[in-house]
Amino acid sequence: MGAARKFATKIVRGVEVRDDPAREPCFTVVQLHHDVPDSGAIGEEARRQRIHRDYNQEVQTLEIAAICLTDFPDAPWELRMEFARQCWDEARHAGIMYRRLLALGGWKGMYPIANLDWSVVGMLDSLAARLAVQNRTFEAGSLDMGAMSLPGFREQGLEHEAELSDAVDADEIHHVRFANKWLKRLTDEQPRAVLEIASAMAWLRKVIAATELDYLKDIPTSDHARQLAGFSEAEVAEVVRMHQTAIARATAAGRSGDE
Amino acid sequence: MLTVKERGQFVATLRYVHVSLMETLAAWVPTTPEMEVKLLFGEHIWDMAQHADNLGKRTFELRMPLQKSMRPADGYVDLLAAVAAIEPTAQRLAAMYDVLLPALVERQRQYVEQTDKLVDAPTVRILERFFADAARMIDGAQALRGELPELRLTAGQWATALRTREAGLDLIAAEAPAVSVALGA
Repeated sequence: MGAARKFATKIVRGVEVRDDPAREPCFTVVQLHHDVPDSGAIGEEARRQRIHRDYNQEVQTLEIAAICLTDFPDAPWELRMEFARQCWDEARHAGIMYRRLLALGGWKGMYPIANLDWSVVGMLDSLAARLAVQNRTFEAGSLDMGAMSLPGFREQGLEHEAELSDAVDADEIHHVRFANKWLKRLTDEQPRAVLEIASAMAWLRKVIAATELDYLKDIPTSDHARQLAGFSEAEVAEVVRMHQTAIARATAAGRSGDE
Repeated sequence: MLTVKERGQFVATLRYVHVSLMETLAAWVPTTPEMEVKLLFGEHIWDMAQHADNLGKRTFELRMPLQKSMRPADGYVDLLAAVAAIEPTAQRLAAMYDVLLPALVERQRQYVEQTDKLVDAPTVRILERFFADAARMIDGAQALRGELPELRLTAGQWATALRTREAGLDLIAAEAPAVSVALGA
């Protein structure tokens, strides 16, 4: 995604991505999401796995927001303030997850972790592209995931986890909302930003195809959360349409595989 | 009494320092292995940004552009760069929380002592809020090192040397009219 790099990279399934951020030796870092253990939705072990995964996910998001401050020192100050605030939010979220992990008898490094979001977003050399991929795609996807998981927590009697998840989502909505606001502003002011975003999204599709990053593919779109986050009704409808197309394709592929 | 121009220069220079420290903490987040330290830095990035923002609003009130930063004296800029380049976590913590933040508080206290507290009350309020936040930040780092002793600096003279270096530097750039000898040191 650019010629000269100031950082180390690595190759994952044939795609060059940014090398992992620093982690303590207690962690085993794997390259793909499907190598991170996931026992499903029910049971103590599954809860620890999910929270351990979310803990590292929040730290990655903090790290991504932090490098948006360091890599783009000439960005508008109001936008830098948004990233600075996001750093605090993600640090709090990670702290919440860690506290919950300890309460469930878990510990740092209990399971392998993957830092693919960091590795993907960290390669993008335009701020508009990072907003589009990280905030508007990955974090908007996590809003959908949050909306889907809340009823499940409540059905299992995990009221505390439901409240924590809801509180985290309330913060995340703003992270998507400010991205939507600034993407509109950046593309209005700099038409080139549109090309940067299109290029980044095309590259993201390539990475997804290579690394099976599409862990959000089974998550239904949360219209309410997305509208709160500043997506227009037309944009939400487009995401729903894309989601349904993806399901249809996956189903068709499954059928042809069965034959 | 400090002139409007002198007060503006001090505030704009402080803004530069706060933005620089925000960026240093941000650069350290992905390059520091310890998760607890990343979270501490993440919280304090926001503290530094808020103070930079408050100072930047004050520069406008002092007949400067909104969010104006002024480059400090060369020696101080070199110090900020040297701190940003530190790699071991224990030294990062010591440099930020045992040296730079306490020294910044001390320079700002000297300013508060010299400025007219009625004429310059908006600046004084901003600085007093920083005193409270800096104390919380320093306490947070101290508490973390209490929980995780491996994050403590083993060679105390390293921090002492950095403290001595900081204390010997001017903050305000020479080309700007000096606010006072005491503030510059």
